[in-house]
Amino acid sequence: MKKIDLHIHTVPTFSDSAFTFSIETFKRYVTEAHLDAVAVTNHDVFDGKQFRLIQSALDAVVFPGIEINVEEGHVLVIASASELEDFEVKTRLVAQKITKLGDRLSIQELEQVFGDLGNYLVIPHTDKAPPITGATLQKLRQYVCAGEVDSAKKFVRAIKDDTKLTPVLFSDARMKTDLATLPTRRTFVDCGDVTLSALKANLRDKGKVALSEVDGNKLWQVFESGEKLSTGLNVLIGARSTGKTHTLDRLSTTIENVKYIKQFSLVQQDEGAYERAFKGDVERRRSVFIDDFLSGLKAVLDDVMKVDLVANDKAMERYVATLVKSAEEADRRDAFSKTALFDAENFPVGQTKVLQELIESVRQVIENVEFKAIIDKHLDSRSLKRLARELIELLWARTLENSKRSLVNGVIKDVKQSLKMRTAAVPVEDVDLYKVSMDKKRIQRFREIVDFLKRKAVVFQESIQGFRVEAEKEPFAGAGEIKEVSGVKTSFAAAFRKYGDPYDYLRELMSDESLTRSELYKLFVKINYRILNKDGFEVSGGERSEFRLLQEIADAQNYDILLIDEPESSFDNLFLNSNVNQILKDISEVMPVVVVTHNNTVGASVGADYVLYTSKELEQGKTVYRIYSGHPTDKQLLSTDGKAINSHEVMLNSLEAGVAPYESRRKGYEAIKN
Amino acid sequence: MKLLKIDANQGHFRDINGKYKPIDKIAKEDLLQLVTWTLNEKEVEFDAYDEKAIKNQAQQIVYKSVDQKLQTLRGRKQEFIDEAERSFLKEYEKYRDA
Repeated sequence: MKKIDLHIHTVPTFSDSAFTFSIETFKRYVTEAHLDAVAVTNHDVFDGKQFRLIQSALDAVVFPGIEINVEEGHVLVIASASELEDFEVKTRLVAQKITKLGDRLSIQELEQVFGDLGNYLVIPHTDKAPPITGATLQKLRQYVCAGEVDSAKKFVRAIKDDTKLTPVLFSDARMKTDLATLPTRRTFVDCGDVTLSALKANLRDKGKVALSEVDGNKLWQVFESGEKLSTGLNVLIGARSTGKTHTLDRLSTTIENVKYIKQFSLVQQDEGAYERAFKGDVERRRSVFIDDFLSGLKAVLDDVMKVDLVANDKAMERYVATLVKSAEEADRRDAFSKTALFDAENFPVGQTKVLQELIESVRQVIENVEFKAIIDKHLDSRSLKRLARELIELLWARTLENSKRSLVNGVIKDVKQSLKMRTAAVPVEDVDLYKVSMDKKRIQRFREIVDFLKRKAVVFQESIQGFRVEAEKEPFAGAGEIKEVSGVKTSFAAAFRKYGDPYDYLRELMSDESLTRSELYKLFVKINYRILNKDGFEVSGGERSEFRLLQEIADAQNYDILLIDEPESSFDNLFLNSNVNQILKDISEVMPVVVVTHNNTVGASVGADYVLYTSKELEQGKTVYRIYSGHPTDKQLLSTDGKAINSHEVMLNSLEAGVAPYESRRKGYEAIKN
Repeated sequence: MKLLKIDANQGHFRDINGKYKPIDKIAKEDLLQLVTWTLNEKEVEFDAYDEKAIKNQAQQIVYKSVDQKLQTLRGRKQEFIDEAERSFLKEYEKYRDA
């Protein structure tokens, strides 16, 4: 097996953050990681002079390469070192075409630059950002023998999936002066001499690539010093203060996209704070549903907020008062008040909304592609088009009529105002009775809707891993509850006094400028979340922790590895055995999982693929921390520096508090049994 | 077609029957008709407002305002009509073949 890393950066470009290249770092990396072959692949440039320096300094095969921005993502194009001069010429063309962020080559341009791409090793990002997929990948497909991924999880997934390309995992590292930790991502290829043609042939065969040299894709190296993890389920055990949590912390920094559930993070400590965190957590996950549920009210509110009943009442009062006054003064009219327009009311200007919506509906029927066959069966498309045109003509006529009326209303207003200034007579104030009555009706409906909403009822139910999440609506019981939902530091005491009448309440809320109008819909009904256990009762504190743990573990599917520190900290063995173990086992089928534990239920019953044991040892007066590892059935666990330790003893010491207590416990159980 | 005219010290408007009536008797329906003519007729004329030519002050107020509005409308009549026909124009053209 040959160890290769064909994605390494040595020149900072506009696509990178700044760094200073160090040949020393590169040398250290190749030597310490025992690499057989590397490739220099900078973003859209190739520095021939630097390449020759690297080639002469390293004790490994070095390929010239380039990482190119193409249509959708990045692709590595790697050449044979014997074609160096030709490669320099061609890559110069790439550098000329890609000079700033956002520049890219089409696949056609790529072919124009390099001629027959079949002469190169072409590796697109497939499960790594920015990926090349779909049509672009199809265009490249004939030249490609492997696709780059960025985690062990994705590597294993690609190996198992027949539709995916052979995966390769490379470091994508910058060989810079201050590189703190050496990269650990690389791929093993089963080939003799590492030549470009050998790599091309072997990379096409999934059976010839692996994450580790001897253990295939079951193990992969995670630390510089050589420690490996299983791509399945790892159990990390060890006495207190031997570096278990420290090891998890290190893993969380060396590996990207990690889901890390820390010790006690799910444990109930402060009841109040916990309750809030728990509810917040559940609510966040369900908020999409609730937003949807209340979206109807939101639309109604947008309409209702425009209605001002008080102003309407005042307008009515003014109308009646001026009408009466004008009647009283009928005999005292002068030339100004006698003009016809003096008492003219405005033309009502109609709405075209309904007509517009109708046209839109007809348009949708005409344009629909998905159900075209059914529509055509029942309706003649020509008639539909004629209908649409006639409705549109009607809309235009109505719109024009409305514009004309608005114009005339403008003249009336203008004339009335001028006349008013010259006469002692009172003009009759205009009022739109249609609007006033519509507004009244609207508010009546609004009150009915909100009253209905306030009725206590369950509006959402979801089953999650044996628990049931329920959202229940009910009226707010006090101003404090409204304040909590609003998230705004303002007093709701005055508003709450009017809570019984939805319209008055709305006006009160609208008068508070610190509240966002588009968010007011949340303040009409309280949504309570409850988590019920399998018996239908509200969960206890312990059950709540269980629920959160299961949620967190389920969430891990979005990550590349799951690290979990002592899940037993707050759970009973029955729960660990029946739920946690099963879920951990299931999730480890698709991604690496590392569990730190002292608990025999987890440690011994979970069915680990790999066991790691941390140990603190005193050697010549110095403390040495070691990690021993091996398969669960191995008699011995081994450290990377060649030390061995007895597996049986380690397991009993870590999980059963030692051999003697284990034996006595076992005998105790036997005695009860008998 | 003359929509507004000044005659014998009085302002007049043309009513729907083509008769000229004193401007102070103009009702909102008459105004709407004047607007329609302004938009639809090729040639419309208005006697320019002249304070001295109209004696009655109430008539002055009405005539001045109506004259001003109609003049402006005449200048922008295409724009006014186009605006009304802007919605669904694309669909209207597209469905023409039916």
